[in-house]
Amino acid sequence: MNRPDAVTLPRLAGSAVRQASGVPGFWDGLPLLALVLGVLAGGVGLAVGDTFTLNILGTAFLFAGLSSAWNLIGGFGGQFSLGHSVFFAVGAYTTANLYLKLGVSPWLALVPAAALAAAVAVAISWPVFRLRGPFFAIATMALTEVALAIGNYWESMTGGTRGMSIPFRLGAGNMIFRDRVSYTWIMWGFMALCLIVSLWLARSRLGYYLRALRDNEQAAGAAGIDVLRAKLLGMAISAALTGVGGGLFLFSTRVTDPTSILSLFEFGVKFALIALIGGMGTVYGPLLGALLLIPLESWLRAELGGVLPGANIIVLSIVLILASLFLKRGIMGALQALRVAR
Amino acid sequence: MTGAMTEVITGALSVQGVSKRFGGLLAVDNVSFDVAPGELVSIIGPNGAGKTTLFNLLTGQLAPTAGRVMLDRADVSRLPPHRRAAAGFGRTFQIAQTLTSLTVLENAMIGAFLRHPRLADAARHATAMLELVGLGARAGTRAGVLTLSERRRLEVARALATDPRIVLLDEVMAGLNQSEIQEVADLVQRLNAEGHTFLVIEHNLKVVRQFSHRVIVLHRGAMLAEGTAAEVLANPAVVEAYVGTRRH
Repeated sequence: MNRPDAVTLPRLAGSAVRQASGVPGFWDGLPLLALVLGVLAGGVGLAVGDTFTLNILGTAFLFAGLSSAWNLIGGFGGQFSLGHSVFFAVGAYTTANLYLKLGVSPWLALVPAAALAAAVAVAISWPVFRLRGPFFAIATMALTEVALAIGNYWESMTGGTRGMSIPFRLGAGNMIFRDRVSYTWIMWGFMALCLIVSLWLARSRLGYYLRALRDNEQAAGAAGIDVLRAKLLGMAISAALTGVGGGLFLFSTRVTDPTSILSLFEFGVKFALIALIGGMGTVYGPLLGALLLIPLESWLRAELGGVLPGANIIVLSIVLILASLFLKRGIMGALQALRVAR
Repeated sequence: MTGAMTEVITGALSVQGVSKRFGGLLAVDNVSFDVAPGELVSIIGPNGAGKTTLFNLLTGQLAPTAGRVMLDRADVSRLPPHRRAAAGFGRTFQIAQTLTSLTVLENAMIGAFLRHPRLADAARHATAMLELVGLGARAGTRAGVLTLSERRRLEVARALATDPRIVLLDEVMAGLNQSEIQEVADLVQRLNAEGHTFLVIEHNLKVVRQFSHRVIVLHRGAMLAEGTAAEVLANPAVVEAYVGTRRH
């Protein structure tokens, strides 16, 4: 008997099994991540002794980590926060005050710093998550100004407008080193942590939920997703990592004040811009963005800053405008488009 | 055979005196009806009759001003949408709400995660649902490039992937051509035969006649008639609501 069903159905079932196992998990992505981190570690090894390059690498790694952390909620979740410098500052000041006032090693202090940054993020996101799109971005930007006022006023914690400094007491437990390469390695470790969390999120249920609600909150809710809970969870993880970055930043520079650490241009907006240029909502986009933008910025500052003050910022802004015009889905998006075209 | 991959659990819906007021407008006016497990009930009515508002009251996008929504004897009237999905409501939207940056498989997985938290399990269940609606071959495609007919079927797959007790389809055939309409109608009829319970908003009366066990007519927010398709469409009040009265 001619029964087409009997022929086609086993084939369909076979393809179903292959497709189901074709969804890549966290462990499938780990070898590539290890390779990338290994190559970057090799770069640090080559630069040993060259303080200028080590500083640029350290800064690029720090911002790769911070932008990856931002990308968890800003990219995967589509919540375009410009207020992440608040969590950055909370992490920095928590770490510094625990060290200066209670003698807690900054390594240990990073844990409560992350927790407090996450708690602050959840508390302020709860009302702000009612806003969508540009309104959300503007509200988070306004929160930065509120934080700046608090920071300037709360002198016992931040040193007020005069700022604060971490005394130079050498020691691994104090996270104070004479050589720059130690800081470059610390930033490498931070970046590795953020990328591992990114890879985990991208391949987790929460990551799928965040991408779903980014596309359409109503459809996400109707499919059973608790939209507010997913956003708050994503924000908490993102802010915790950002807080760790804040602590590491302050101990590597040893001096800051509220105006610098809450600067939109230096931090709040830059986290988002790096992800935007590299590719939002991808695991490697923020890393690519940081590896491109941070060295470019340093080079421009060195080459043009002395000749024509501000020219470096103009050139950088032009690069950003061009990127937003022609690389709408970032470098990662352009690479993916190339691969599909082939 | 694909239907045997998942057990269909159906539920009973009971809508009891549900109303929704927007300021001075009574969009849904004291509507009561039941849907038994395994039934396929269609809701028809002129534009603005309150059909989609009624759906939104059932699945939690809106809260009713009065009345109760019961699913399997549990009162779900005050639950938010995601908890109604957990309770057993699956739905599609009048304007297809595809997750455009996700792949077809990922879209279906979003529904599947509700009862299959692990990635591999969700992918397996989602794949089965895609095969069911005939989108198995499109699993890796980005949903943003699908045709309207494919997007509609994808929404059905995402709703089915939540293992719903009742599936609500809001004009799932609007904008489709004749052969696509027949495909979707056959799909719904087949799923119903496999045990799925359906509540369907539909304008295409030919399709309504083909697959409905029962038809409810809404007019200006209130129930105008209820019965088999033949009964309802022969009802003079229904004809009048659709085409108006003859002037003498």
